[in-house]
Amino acid sequence: MAAKPKLAVYKFASCDGCQLSLLDAEDELLAVADVVEIAYFLEARTAVQEGPYDVGLVEGSITTKHDVERIKEVRKQCRFLVTIGACATAGGIQALRNWRDVNDFISHVYAHPEYINTLKTSTPVAEHVFVDFELRGCPINKKQLVELVAALVHGRKPRVPTYSVCVECKRRDTVCVAVARGIACLGPVTQAGCGAICPSYYRECFGCYGPKENANSMSLGQHYLAAGKPSMQLVRLLRNFNGHAADFATASTALETANK
Amino acid sequence: MTKRIVIDPVTRIEGHAKITVYLNDQNEVSDARFHVAEFRGFEKFCEGRPYTEMAGITSRVCGICPVSHLIASVKAGDAIMAVDIPPAAEKLRRLMNLGQIVQSHALSFFHLSSPDLLLGFDSPPEKRHIFGVAGVDPKLARSGIRLRQFGQEIIEALGGQKIHPAWTTPGGVRGPLDEDECKRLRGWIDEAMSTTQAAITLFKSLVGKYQEEVNSFGTFKSLFMGLVADDGTWENYGGRLRFVDQDRKIVADKIDPADYQEYIGEVVEPYSYLKSPYYKPLGYPDGIYRVGPLARLKLCEQMGTPLADKELAEFRNLGEELTTSSFYYHYARLVEVIACIERVAQLVDDPDIRSPDFRAYAGVNRLEGVGCSEAPRGTLFHHYHVDRDGIIQKVDLLIATGQNNLAMNRTVAQIAKHFIRNGKATDGILNRLEAGVRAYDPCLSCSTHAVGMMPLIVDLVDPSGNVVRQWKRDG
Repeated sequence: MAAKPKLAVYKFASCDGCQLSLLDAEDELLAVADVVEIAYFLEARTAVQEGPYDVGLVEGSITTKHDVERIKEVRKQCRFLVTIGACATAGGIQALRNWRDVNDFISHVYAHPEYINTLKTSTPVAEHVFVDFELRGCPINKKQLVELVAALVHGRKPRVPTYSVCVECKRRDTVCVAVARGIACLGPVTQAGCGAICPSYYRECFGCYGPKENANSMSLGQHYLAAGKPSMQLVRLLRNFNGHAADFATASTALETANK
Repeated sequence: MTKRIVIDPVTRIEGHAKITVYLNDQNEVSDARFHVAEFRGFEKFCEGRPYTEMAGITSRVCGICPVSHLIASVKAGDAIMAVDIPPAAEKLRRLMNLGQIVQSHALSFFHLSSPDLLLGFDSPPEKRHIFGVAGVDPKLARSGIRLRQFGQEIIEALGGQKIHPAWTTPGGVRGPLDEDECKRLRGWIDEAMSTTQAAITLFKSLVGKYQEEVNSFGTFKSLFMGLVADDGTWENYGGRLRFVDQDRKIVADKIDPADYQEYIGEVVEPYSYLKSPYYKPLGYPDGIYRVGPLARLKLCEQMGTPLADKELAEFRNLGEELTTSSFYYHYARLVEVIACIERVAQLVDDPDIRSPDFRAYAGVNRLEGVGCSEAPRGTLFHHYHVDRDGIIQKVDLLIATGQNNLAMNRTVAQIAKHFIRNGKATDGILNRLEAGVRAYDPCLSCSTHAVGMMPLIVDLVDPSGNVVRQWKRDG
């Protein structure tokens, strides 16, 4: 890659938290600005440099017809396209609309629903264009973001773990909330990256980083069902920020169907 | 027929937005509007979830002020449980909210607005960003980034991560603050204070250059609303609502936030997803009010800490008329940062924040709850209805940026009328329009709780229907 690669940051439907993680890398921020040219980042600057860009970071999910067209343009502009966060990678919390009638949403909130032009679903970027790398999390971990930028500058693969949150609990000596407290926890099927924060506060993992490699959430769901957890509780647990991710979605749909 | 100038989207504010300027046949500005065009639908998809999950879900409304949503949400949860939370829990939540205000205000001042103030509204756009500031004044950029980090690290110390920390819960919080963290934060207080003082000095030295902007960035009569303690001290977590007018005369006081719907009405304008709230007794649109740092300074009697009170006295000396300009939001933000740092310094020395009694437990004891707190941008309300099992039946979120909607519209209209002549707008003028909105530090992800684009027309059309110009910077 060139000595000073050009970086672009794009936003689709999201809360802005992931792109702000770039600003959150306070100690690294000015160093990052030294090694990459931040060529397109509306949140932080006004002027925009012309593409194409070496790396495009995409935050947010695809929720409008305009988004569908725009993400194709973004793909054309970027040599490497990386999704950052649960919205871009899995559709985000707003993908909960995929199980509901979106028109019902709109008429509830707005007096003039005819002005609102939105798709029925919120979908991940990868359902529309090829994605080179996914950075997980709701929000992403800034250390992983800095690692990603560093890896791309040096032309190597980013070192991001693909094992489960359970490994992180063991590392920080957190006693298992599922085993010791009988809490239904998604840790065993969720990719690591957050540092296993929630179990350290005695609460369940709710899957911010999405399904890990080869996760089998249905099997975990069966285990919790057998332990007496209500199936709708498990459905809700799976339907959070990564509810639309394939493995979580398959399991939650199966559990919901079984409940009916 | 009118023609339109559209800026789309507004850069350096959070979320998606556009500005449309309407020209008449004489090429003069007849009106201007600020639009928001994102829709995500939080109020609806929260239905069917337990109220205990609401903090985690609604914090995803916004990655800039997730803590504000966490706090309003768990306060609504406290109301549903009908509990008084332990003193340690309140202090810890307060500490996190102070961290939130510091980081958000630092982001607003240093990262987003200092490029305009330091480099000028007419400076080349390719320089007008935090890295441009770093080129001119590396110390300022560096210290501003560090000040935001101070706020973010308070949040991280308490909640485990800076954005969307899963730590507050109905009934209290999930853990105390350990002594090592207190020590680390204590060691940072002096630096944070001197950065903020330097920023205030900078603002005061620069404001003289921008008299034209001061006089056109939202100088109009309006009400101001926010939380205030019963003794009139500046608040951000507890207290009751107060409305004052532009002369600081109290219009309504000691309102229980749970009764907000008796005082605040909302209209929906077709041009924006944002609802326009107004003070009901005055009706719409006369009931226009502003929230946020400027409002909180207007309506309090004192900040309650020495350095902030000293600064408040200077602010008052400027006179009420001058500080009715929304340009002074920037100054108010910095005064609040001083107050926050002083309060953080008090709280990290308070033994209560290491108390093991930080959470109250209870079931559903009320079927309705309102949670209210001051987000960096203004007063935030979460209003939930639940069933006996605590499952959400109905959600209303009244967001700070939404409450400033009418004021932001009036501000862009004022700026457009003042600066645009003969239908000609330079980049500097367009930047002023954006900056007028940016003064309110709007958080548009929040305010629309949004996903989807309104089919807003982004043409610039002259009286004969030709596209004259369009400033389109796709988000």
